[in-house]
Amino acid sequence: MAEEPTDPTSEPAKEGFDRRTALKVGGATLGAAAFARALAPLTEWTEDLSVDGFLQKHYKELTPEELSAVLRRHEAETERRYGREVTIRDLRPQEGVSFGYALNLSVCIGCRRCAEACHIENNHDRRTQTSYIRVLEMTQGSFDMEHGTAVYDHEAVPAPGKYYMPVQCQQCDNPPCVHVCPVEATWKEEDGIVVVDYDWCIGCRYCEAACPYHARRFNWERPVVPAEEINPNQSYLSNRIRPQGVMEKCHFCLHRTREGRAPACLEACPTGARVFGNLLDPNSDIRWVLENKRVFVLKEDLGTRPRFFYYFG
Amino acid sequence: MPRPYRSTHARTTPILLALLAGCGSDVERPLADPPGEPTGQVRISAPAWLDSLATEVTGTDGTPLRLRCESCHALSPSGAALPASAEEAGAPHTGLEVEHGTLACASCHDSERPDRLRLASGHVAPMREAMLLCAQCHGTQHRDYQHGAHGGMQGYWDLSRGDRVRNHCVECHAPHRPAYPRLRPLPPPHDRFPPVRHEGDHG
Amino acid sequence: MSARDHAISYPKFLWRAVSMATDGSWLFYTWMLVLTAIALVGANAWAQQTVDGMALTSMSDHVSWGLYIANFTFAVGLAAGGVMMVIPAYLYRDERMHDVVIVGELLAIAALVMALLFVVVDLGRPDRFWHLMPFIGRFHWPISMLTWDVIVLNGYLLINAHICGYLLYTRFIGKKPDPRWYIPFVMVSIVWAISVHTVTAFLYSGLGGRPFWNSALLAPRFLVTAFITGPAFIVLTLRFMRGATRFAVPSGPVATLVGVMRVTVIVNLFMLGAELFTELYSGGSHAAAAEYLWFGLHGANALVPWTWAALLFNVAAAVILLTPALARRYWVLNAACVLAFAGVWIEKGMGLIIPGFIPSTLHEIVEYVPSTTEWRITAGIWAFGLMVYTVLMKVALPIVAGEERLDRRGAPAKPTAPAPAARDEEE
Repeated sequence: MAEEPTDPTSEPAKEGFDRRTALKVGGATLGAAAFARALAPLTEWTEDLSVDGFLQKHYKELTPEELSAVLRRHEAETERRYGREVTIRDLRPQEGVSFGYALNLSVCIGCRRCAEACHIENNHDRRTQTSYIRVLEMTQGSFDMEHGTAVYDHEAVPAPGKYYMPVQCQQCDNPPCVHVCPVEATWKEEDGIVVVDYDWCIGCRYCEAACPYHARRFNWERPVVPAEEINPNQSYLSNRIRPQGVMEKCHFCLHRTREGRAPACLEACPTGARVFGNLLDPNSDIRWVLENKRVFVLKEDLGTRPRFFYYFG
Repeated sequence: MPRPYRSTHARTTPILLALLAGCGSDVERPLADPPGEPTGQVRISAPAWLDSLATEVTGTDGTPLRLRCESCHALSPSGAALPASAEEAGAPHTGLEVEHGTLACASCHDSERPDRLRLASGHVAPMREAMLLCAQCHGTQHRDYQHGAHGGMQGYWDLSRGDRVRNHCVECHAPHRPAYPRLRPLPPPHDRFPPVRHEGDHG
Repeated sequence: MSARDHAISYPKFLWRAVSMATDGSWLFYTWMLVLTAIALVGANAWAQQTVDGMALTSMSDHVSWGLYIANFTFAVGLAAGGVMMVIPAYLYRDERMHDVVIVGELLAIAALVMALLFVVVDLGRPDRFWHLMPFIGRFHWPISMLTWDVIVLNGYLLINAHICGYLLYTRFIGKKPDPRWYIPFVMVSIVWAISVHTVTAFLYSGLGGRPFWNSALLAPRFLVTAFITGPAFIVLTLRFMRGATRFAVPSGPVATLVGVMRVTVIVNLFMLGAELFTELYSGGSHAAAAEYLWFGLHGANALVPWTWAALLFNVAAAVILLTPALARRYWVLNAACVLAFAGVWIEKGMGLIIPGFIPSTLHEIVEYVPSTTEWRITAGIWAFGLMVYTVLMKVALPIVAGEERLDRRGAPAKPTAPAPAARDEEE
C-alpha cells in the first residue's frame, strides 16, 4: 500500500538515525498509551472477574470438592450482586430415568401461563421478560409457522380460527446445538436433558444458529432480577442466575424434575395440556400418551429426534 | 418411543479425547438413585362449591362462611325438590344459566335430593363423586384423565418422592356451562427487537 | 550458513524489519496515523462491548450473528483469494507471477488476522478464549465445524507466515531459497486455501434448520467469490505500487489476474441465478429468506437496496471485465475491481448471513441493522488489517527487490545488483 520512497539524504547519518529512533520511540509510546486508554473500560470488567472464575475447569472435569467450592462461590456472588441468599446445588441425573414431555394441541389455549411460570422459576432477566417458551398462534388449516405469530395480543384466547403451539427446547436426541458447540459447553445428560455449562460457554452463539426450534437464548447483558423475585432454589446447570455473554436454554426445570417434581410450566398450565414423565417407566403418563395418542414431533424431517412431543386429543 | 440417547458423537468423543491426551479428563460422578416404589398419593382436589354455597356471613379470617347443600336439601326435601328447568330454580339458585348440551336438570341431579347426583345406573352419589357422572358421557376424556393426559396436575411426576394433586373435572368445566372459559392471555414476549406483525396477511 | 550464523542474522532480520516498518514518508505516517485512530476507536468500542455486554450490538436471539460474522466470512474469502496468485505461479509455472506471489500471501496473512479478530469480537466471553484451544480447553473436534475452522484458519496463517518469512529471510541474507523448504508449503497452501473457505462455508451449510444456508452450492460459491475479491484487491495493490511507489511489476500478473476474474465474476453470477431460480421458481416457505433478501417480506426490507446494489456492482464489474475496450482503460478497470470487491462484500457478508436468520426458525421476522458499536468495531478491524498489510508490504517489497540485505541497507540499489522487480525512480 503506501510504499513511499525513503529520503536518501536522511540515511544513514548517525544523528539523523538517532533523531528518527527517538521519534519512533516517542511515537510508539504515544501509540501504546492511546491503546491503553482505548481499552481502559476493560479494567472495570477485569475487576469483576475472579481468578478462580477465570481458571475454572469444565463442569465434567470438576472433582466433587472443586464443584462444591464453585457452588459456594456462586452463592456468595449472587448474594453480593443481587442481595439474595440462594442455594445452588448440583443435581445428577437419576438412573433409570429418561425424560419426555408431551403437549396436547387440542386443549392449549395460548394463555402464556407456561411462559410466565418459566420466566419466574428460572430467574430470567426482568427487563426483556425472557422465557424459554415461545407460544405460537397458528392459523386453522395451516401447520406452516409462516402463518403463525408469537406476538399476538387478544382480549381473550383462544381467538377464533386460531390454535396454539408453545415451542421450547425439544431436548433432541440428535441435538444440532450440541454438535456445533466448539468447546463442549453444552451436552446431553443421561436423562436426556441438554444442558449448558454457563461457566464454560464462550458465547459464540453457533448453537443458536444451529437450533431449528429457536430454543436457545443469549444473555446479551447481565440479567436483572429484583432480590425479592429471585427463586432461591437453584442449581448449577439450570436456573442459577446466568452470567453475561453466555447461552442458556430450557433444561426441563432439572432442579425440580430431578427431585421428582413436575416442571414449572406444567404446573402453571390451566388446561392440563402438558404431560411430563419418565419414558423408561412403562406405566408413566407420558408413555401412555406416546402409545395411545396421535403424536408427532416438530420438524421431524431434520432428524433431530426431539423428546418433546405434540399431540391432538 | 425414542431410542435411548446414543449418538455417534457420544460414542466417538471419549475415543477422540483419549487421542487428544492432555485434554482435561472427566471426573466420574455416579448417577442419582432410580425412582423407588410409587408410594405417593394421588389426590383429586374437589372444590368447596361442589357441596356447599358461600353465604354473606364472613368468618374471622374474612372469608365467607359456607353452607353445605344438605343444610337445606336434607331438611326440607319437598321444598327443595328439583325444578323443571333452570329458570324455575328458586333462591339461592335463581338466575342459574345452563348451557350443557340438551341435558335437563334430572339428567344429573336426583329428583328427590337435588344435592345428590343420580347415575345412569340408578345409583345416587354425593356431589364430590361428580367425576363418575361426567365419565358416563365423556368416556374418552375420563380415560385420558386416568392416564394423566387430561386435566393437569401439581406436585410430583415421581410418586416415590411425593404426592400429586389432580384437578377435578368441575374445576375447569363448570357443570352447568362446561365450555372452558376464554382467558385474557399474558402479554406477548418483550423482545429486544420485536418481530414484524403480519397476522393479517394470511388471515 | 550454520545455525550460529542464523542465530545472529535472524534477529538482525527482525530488527531491520521493525526499522523498515516504521520508516517512511509523511504520507506513510499520515496513512498509518489515520488507520491507528480508526483502530483505536474500534478497540475502545470493543472494550465497551465486553464490559456492557453484546446488548450494545443490534443482534438478537432472532438474528444472532451480524456484521462481525458477515465480515469474518468475507475476510476468510479474501485470505483464500490471496493465494490465487500462487496457483498460476506454481501450478502453471507462470514465472512472471513469482515476484508478486508474496503480495497475495501477505494479503492472506492480513485477511486472516482480520478474520480471527472478527471471531474474537463476536464472542460473548472473550476472557474464555482459552476454552477453544486444543489440549488446554475442550476442543470439540471433529464434531464441531467451528473447531475445523479454528484449525484451518490458524494453520493457514502459519503456512503463509512460514512461506513469506522464509522467502524474505533467505532473500535478506542473500541466499537462494531452498525449494525443499517452501515449495511443499506452497502446494499445501493451495489446497489449504480451498479448505479454509470450504470449511467456512460448511459452518453455515451444515445447519439443517436454516434453509437459506443449507445448500450444497454455498462452498463452491464461496470459492468463486474468493477468487473475485482476492485478485481484485491484488490488482488494485499492484497498480497502486506502480503509481505511488518505486516498486512496480510487469503487466503480466495483472493480466493473469484479470483473466481469472473474467471467469469468476461470470461463474458467480451464474451460481446466483441458479440459486435464485431454485428458491423462487418452486416458491413456498423455504424461499422466504430469498424473498426477504430480494424483495422484502411483510414490509421488512432493510437488505433490499443493499442486495440490488450488490447485483448492480457485480454485473457492472462483469460487463467491464468482459469488454476489452473498457477493461483496457486504467481507471475503468480499477473501478471494476472496486465494484467487484464491494459487490461481493455485500453479497457474501450481510447478504448471506442475515437472511439465514430472517425469517427465524419459528418463521418470525426480526430485522437487523448494525449498531454504531458494531460499525466502530468493524471499521477498527478493517483499519487494523490494512495496517498489518501496509507494514508487511513495507518490509517485504524492499527485501524482495534486493534493496535490503544483511550486508547492505537503504534504498539506492547498486547498479551492479539491479532489483528484479523494482523500477528505480532515480534513473
